[in-house]
Amino acid sequence: MPLNSLLCLFFVLVILIIIPAADYVFAAGDEPAGYLDRRVVIWNLFYKMMTVAFTVGSVVSGTIIWICWRFRESHPKATPTPYEKQGVW
Amino acid sequence: MGHHSNWPEWLYVGVVIALMCWVGGEAWNAERLIEHIPADAEIIKVTGQQWFWSFEHEDGTKEIGVLHVKVGKAYKFEVTAKDVDHSFNIHDYVVLMDAVPGRINTVWFAPMEVGENAIQCKEYCGLIHYNMRAKLIVEEADSTS
Repeated sequence: MPLNSLLCLFFVLVILIIIPAADYVFAAGDEPAGYLDRRVVIWNLFYKMMTVAFTVGSVVSGTIIWICWRFRESHPKATPTPYEKQGVW
Repeated sequence: MGHHSNWPEWLYVGVVIALMCWVGGEAWNAERLIEHIPADAEIIKVTGQQWFWSFEHEDGTKEIGVLHVKVGKAYKFEVTAKDVDHSFNIHDYVVLMDAVPGRINTVWFAPMEVGENAIQCKEYCGLIHYNMRAKLIVEEADSTS
């Protein structure tokens, strides 16, 4: 794997795992003095999960749509694969 | 397969793993916050039986079909059942805990608003399950009853 992709992967991991984890660690014990409202915690989690679900859904479906559009036979930049060129499988 | 680059695959794998960790972490944290019972929570013993709820406060006061609590105070429910499985639910406060014979399950909440809320059974427990209800009455902190 080239260095650039390693760096890219590292940044993704930093943003998605390390920063939230560090946030929890430093925030431990800083819960508000009043009692927490279960409704707030549960709905907050629900909205976060829905955001993740819809984001992943749009990225995955968007990628599939782009692949279908880009690699269709009639695309101006379409080129035959090596297998198609040689006519053997 | 030649020397083509496979970084998109690795990136995809990394993102999926990272997302799963994040989702798991968030859920774990929410559960940790919700299950942390405040030390000053008053214990209320909740017993479900066909087909009504009974409550016992720390001072020995018993109530049937109605539960009086004070606004802004934490309560820890110790939930059990006498006959079959029930489920103790205060819908408005997202309180839900199974009431199982021979077992004490705990759940806590702190009412935020003065008023009346419904308590209901959320586990099918027989013929009159649909009407196994009680009333939660949230009173001002200084009122006595």
